[in-house]
Amino acid sequence: MINIKNIKKVYKVNKNSFEALSDVSLNIKANTIHGIIGESGAGKSTLIRLINGLEDYQDGSVDVFEYKNIIKLNKESSRMLKKRIGMVYQSFNLLERKTVLENVLMPVSINRKAKISDIKKAKELIALVGLSNFIDKYPNHLSGGQKQRVGIARSLINNPEILLCDEPTSALDPTTIKSVLELIKDIKSKFNITVVIVTHDMYVIKEICDYVTEMEKGKVIENGEVDEVFYHPSQLTTKKLLSSIGLNYELIISNNKHIKNKYILFFEKEIVESSIITDISIKFNTRINILYASITPNEKGIMVVHIKSNVNEILVSLKSLGVVVENV
Amino acid sequence: MFNNLDVDLFIKALQETVFMSAISTIFVGILGLILGVFLYLTSENGMLKNKFAYFILSLITSLGRSIPFLILIVLLIPFTRLILGTILGPSAALPALIIGATPFYGRIVELSLHEKGKDLVETGLSFGATTFNIVLKILIPESLPSLIRGLTVTAITIISYTSIAGAIGAGGLGNLAYLYGYARNKIEVTLVATFLIVLLIIGVQFIGDFTSKKLTKK
Repeated sequence: MINIKNIKKVYKVNKNSFEALSDVSLNIKANTIHGIIGESGAGKSTLIRLINGLEDYQDGSVDVFEYKNIIKLNKESSRMLKKRIGMVYQSFNLLERKTVLENVLMPVSINRKAKISDIKKAKELIALVGLSNFIDKYPNHLSGGQKQRVGIARSLINNPEILLCDEPTSALDPTTIKSVLELIKDIKSKFNITVVIVTHDMYVIKEICDYVTEMEKGKVIENGEVDEVFYHPSQLTTKKLLSSIGLNYELIISNNKHIKNKYILFFEKEIVESSIITDISIKFNTRINILYASITPNEKGIMVVHIKSNVNEILVSLKSLGVVVENV
Repeated sequence: MFNNLDVDLFIKALQETVFMSAISTIFVGILGLILGVFLYLTSENGMLKNKFAYFILSLITSLGRSIPFLILIVLLIPFTRLILGTILGPSAALPALIIGATPFYGRIVELSLHEKGKDLVETGLSFGATTFNIVLKILIPESLPSLIRGLTVTAITIISYTSIAGAIGAGGLGNLAYLYGYARNKIEVTLVATFLIVLLIIGVQFIGDFTSKKLTKK
């Protein structure tokens, strides 16, 4: 769906140049939610703007849909591409002198006169984001979360195949964040679209993403399925980000170096709800001490345990029940 | 203190000042908006970034603003005579007023558009819109309250310019204040003319503030 290859992007400010992206490659699969995480200045906002051609690049290529190397597109094709991609912003970017309905219609009405069918569509989208009572209100009358919902409804009016979200929850308070993320997830499954979401918050990745790409100083430093990255983070930065949302079992392991016979257990979604540890504990009459336990975004279980005795028998038994065991 | 003749003179002068100011403000509003839009578009952050075009536009704007108005009127005498056939009366003041105030408003427009320009332009581009439609349907409508405030300041500047123009033959309250008040030593005429100009300016400011507030959807 989206194929970014060896992109180099340099900003020139007066005589100084700054490399915003250096040799970035990334493949984003259709129908997934792909998170891009990193600190400010890591290049993630630049990266997401490559996809709809808002940013140019000096080297490499960006392929989106059937378009190859989109920087080479003529103006007309470039506008066609943009119409197939919706965008949601951190600061909402609503037009303050337009009502909610007019804002949602804007991507249509800026290019041609809105038809009755467009207005009907806009009203449906406003209902979908739960703002039917605010249809004639101006953005200044709305809360941050409501503004972002208008932004999301607006991004959908042209039936996009890709939705780009640039820090969509960074200007919102914690309770609103959750509901906006749920809305994005619902929209993804309802309209079968590909979502690319830029964030600095690991919570966003944990809540809704299937894939995650981590950026640092203009480079991709980690990339993969969220579960894979959460289980086996290779970078220190990733581990720090994971600790920020309480998902760092490695920290537990290194804090408990003195304990022998520690194991990491990975539970597939299907067996998460069965009481495997208790069953085995009773069966072998052995205490199993749980040092850490968590559920990943895709509802897989992860646990760090200390097995006091009957180690080999217990491991065999765990493996036979489908638990993946790793000695640490 | 005043006889009927004086009252008629004041009414005529007030009408001339309002005429000169209103016509010039309309022209300056349109021409300044166009100038300001192009200054914005060709600037460093604009959609049609063009260093050369910006330099030329900026140079013309700065030159226009730096020539004192009185000198501008004198410089424009041949031009005014060419297009209007006279250099006397309220209409004859229009070319100088328009040429003098357009660069002033152009700069104000440029600044207004810069205020929220970056985000608005990016949003418009992401809709797949053309530069023309982004300017016409997003940038100008969203900046309208700020553009109106700028036009109010410009209109007030134009009113004071008309007094200068009046002193050298364009008619209006400035002419009255100078011709009767100073030249014929009738200080009370000058005072009344001043009072009327102040009233006019307060009125314009009030209309400007009111319109701008109405247009802001708070």
